[in-house]
Amino acid sequence: MDMINPTVVDLSRFQFALTALYHFMFVPLTLGLTFMLAAMETVYVVTGRKIYKDMAMFWGKLFGINFALGVATGITMEFEFGTNWSMYSRFFGDMFGTPLAIEGLMAFFMESTFVGLMFFGWDRLSKQGHLAVTYLVALGSNLSALWILIANAGMNVPHGSHFDPETMRLQFDGFVKLIFSPDAQAKFVHTSVAGYISAALLVMGVSAFYLLRGQHRQFAARSFRMAALFGIISTVAVITLGDVLGREDYMEQPTKIAAIEGLWHTSKPPYEPWILAALPDDAKQENHFEIGVPFVLTPLIAHDFNTPIIGMHELEDAAGPRIESGITAVAALHRYQETHQQADLDLFKAHEADLGFGFLATRHAPNQDVAAIPAENLQSVIAQTKPDILPNVFVTFWSFRLMVFLALYFFALFAISAYLSLKNKLERNTLILKACMWSIPLPILATEFGWITAEAGRQPWTVFNILPTFMSASSHSTSYMVFSLAGFALLYSIFIAAELYLMFKFARLGPDSHDTAHGTEDYTAQYAVAGTSHASGH
Amino acid sequence: MELYTLLKLIWAALLCVLLIGLGLMVGMDMGVGTLLRFVGRNDGERRTALNIIGPHWDGNQVWFILGGGAIFAAFPTLYATSFSVFYVVMILLLFSMILRPVAFEYRSKADSHLWRASWDWAFLISGFLPMFIYGAAFGNILHGVGFHFGWTGQYYQDNSFFSYLLNPFAILCGLMSVALSVYQGGIMLMLRAENPIYDRARRYAIRGGLTAAVLFSLGGFFIARMKGFVFTAPVNPAMPASPMHGQHVDMVAGGWLHNYAAHPALWLLPILGLACMIGGTQAARMNKAVLAWWIGLGSWIGTIGTVAAAMFPFFMPSTTAPDQSLTIWNSSASAYGLTCMLVVALIFVPIILCYTSWCYYVMRGKVRTADIVNDSHSY
Amino acid sequence: MYLLRMAGLAAVLVVSLLFAVFVGDQGPWYFAWVVGTIMIILISGAGAILLDAQQEGKIGSSSETEL
Repeated sequence: MDMINPTVVDLSRFQFALTALYHFMFVPLTLGLTFMLAAMETVYVVTGRKIYKDMAMFWGKLFGINFALGVATGITMEFEFGTNWSMYSRFFGDMFGTPLAIEGLMAFFMESTFVGLMFFGWDRLSKQGHLAVTYLVALGSNLSALWILIANAGMNVPHGSHFDPETMRLQFDGFVKLIFSPDAQAKFVHTSVAGYISAALLVMGVSAFYLLRGQHRQFAARSFRMAALFGIISTVAVITLGDVLGREDYMEQPTKIAAIEGLWHTSKPPYEPWILAALPDDAKQENHFEIGVPFVLTPLIAHDFNTPIIGMHELEDAAGPRIESGITAVAALHRYQETHQQADLDLFKAHEADLGFGFLATRHAPNQDVAAIPAENLQSVIAQTKPDILPNVFVTFWSFRLMVFLALYFFALFAISAYLSLKNKLERNTLILKACMWSIPLPILATEFGWITAEAGRQPWTVFNILPTFMSASSHSTSYMVFSLAGFALLYSIFIAAELYLMFKFARLGPDSHDTAHGTEDYTAQYAVAGTSHASGH
Repeated sequence: MELYTLLKLIWAALLCVLLIGLGLMVGMDMGVGTLLRFVGRNDGERRTALNIIGPHWDGNQVWFILGGGAIFAAFPTLYATSFSVFYVVMILLLFSMILRPVAFEYRSKADSHLWRASWDWAFLISGFLPMFIYGAAFGNILHGVGFHFGWTGQYYQDNSFFSYLLNPFAILCGLMSVALSVYQGGIMLMLRAENPIYDRARRYAIRGGLTAAVLFSLGGFFIARMKGFVFTAPVNPAMPASPMHGQHVDMVAGGWLHNYAAHPALWLLPILGLACMIGGTQAARMNKAVLAWWIGLGSWIGTIGTVAAAMFPFFMPSTTAPDQSLTIWNSSASAYGLTCMLVVALIFVPIILCYTSWCYYVMRGKVRTADIVNDSHSY
Repeated sequence: MYLLRMAGLAAVLVVSLLFAVFVGDQGPWYFAWVVGTIMIILISGAGAILLDAQQEGKIGSSSETEL
């Protein structure tokens, strides 16, 4: 086996991370705004007040600007599995491709078809008909996230598949196991609801901007209140599901949880502190300083007071025998591929569970051939491979903490905002309004940190404990990667500039309405005239 | 026939249907994008053209996404290898595909002349380039591609991408696919636009159809002389789907005509394609836009069908390791995966067809320039 | 017509119950998402309607409503 140029692997990882994080700047807003639009339109249909239609239309316009980029950058993700991760796609595609294709059939088609009607169908559909279309768009975009996260859960916890030595790949065998895996469930709800928060804070922030300037006051007050209530419940849900997800990682991906908590040595319950801040050093495998809250870690992760959490050093030691067994598995599998002897197949079957650890060791074997490791060097190869089982602790540790700190901040912000809005005391609390306005990008940042935690914490694997990342990439030349990276950098910069320009432009312009200092009745009467410009045909 | 073989065949057929749907529907939108600067002489006219496909382009683009997704799920090895072998062109295709949604959504949201003119160019590029690459990919695959697999299933490239870019047959196929898309886009504009857009679109549709017919016939001569791929030993269609074992393949001049020699009825496919390309231009001349639109479907069926009939059961033959050529038999997903996907497709495809037609029904009727310019929600 | 509508509603009810039983059993969090999302929408909608009511109560009492 020739090893893929490590620079190409790194560049492929960099490109995938860049494009995935970029894609996920737009997705959370899509997930959440669609349901917020649905909520606004529901109130419109129930009460018949025009102002709620204006809300749905105005926020719908911001949604549209954002949606286009979400769709566009999503195509990149579908391509990149094939273009840059061909070994991964061939090895895992039987299982991984299925949820992706279902996503297209079931969700993406629905979302994309109805989004056209949502924008263009205001005058062609009945009130109820249009509302149904809006709900279908919301459902479609969230179902889309569902199938993607089911696929992602498959990478992290590949239940529902088995390795087949005849085809040299993971064969899919458990549809229900895949869809209802606890990891997929928790991931989906956590991510979807994180999207609700992003959307709520966008609506709240822009409304705060209007309230601060005394513009569109009726419009802004209603949008603000809906968003604040939307946000506070979502924040509670996102924190709950974060805990569920953490527990799932604790059961299935102990290396990830140990890295998240910066836990180099197995914890001593119940005193073990939850580290608030530290400087993890991946090279020396220790934390340089730690500030922690005692007695928190054990109940947080294990949900009891006396279970020790395994630390990274102990996980490395436990991996030693698995690496040795994996080396036997890979060597037997290689011989079997060439000669098809039953004896090799039997030997492989006996060590099959550790196959991935054997793949991991190939990096340290002479000519990447584990069969060529001399007996006297076996222990040194195993020792070299051991630290490879850990993700980058610094990145995992800090991205997790930043996400958590931001979530706690959102909780406080939404709680205060919802209270002030319900009491009609918003306009005198300019500080809170300003905080809302400046916090608009923060939920998106928090979601990005969430992704970094989940995916950096999955390393060194693309399929957890089975296929190492360094084996998964396509064997390209560096120049290919430079070409595509340069293209992405250029195109994506133009996109973000255009998006921000339009977002700011339309947010500044505000809803097409005129201001009114009086009650909603005046507003409705006034708007009945001003609003007729919408009624023109298409 | 074993169940696994049947599943592989069904998915190969579905893939053909998807490729035809993609060529027709996405090609139509791309054609409008390519023609945008030519059929629309001022901003209002261009916006009219855009809004004709405005409510539907997004749904149509999903055909494209779905095509990718279906290849990934049903033929993972084909997906992994083809996307990676054609890296540079695939990335170019990707860039133009992501440019389009953004161009649609953003073009008319600001008034500056420079802003709109730039997005108009984006439409031209992102309409022309993907259709060109779509066709050129077929050309290259017919020609054979350079790759082989290592023992882990990792594939290695044996040719540089320049050989794929500069292959004259591939260029011919690319241009033909562009011509078909221009035809279909022109017909769509005829269906829903009024003069002066209608007349210009009609002119371009006729030119597109005729060009496609000429290139299609030329391509036939190329294929007849080209080295095709044939099995030298019987192959088990139900074999475990791995490209590393189980096939013996050779390259033979005129090999792509062996299927036609064995089953002369297959000649109906190229005849259908050619007849539709010529018939479609006649229909456009006679101002029968609806008829011409449906004839366009026939052109795509004929074209993709001709290629599929020639290559069956090959997907992507390898010139450097012919035994490892990707075929329907050795690049598919497992029987379990194919079954799951089939059940899901049987449930959702009818539903999709229902709501897609309903959307077209709701948004039916002519699009007028005056309405577009006055509507703040249009593209 | 009335009967037809009742039958339709009954069918929707049965499907929802089946969905709730199956998904609640196999995927409790998926079920929680469905119920939770509906709840979030209803509560935020109710909040907006409450604002309408709060304002209608105040009109006339002061020249400028505070928000």
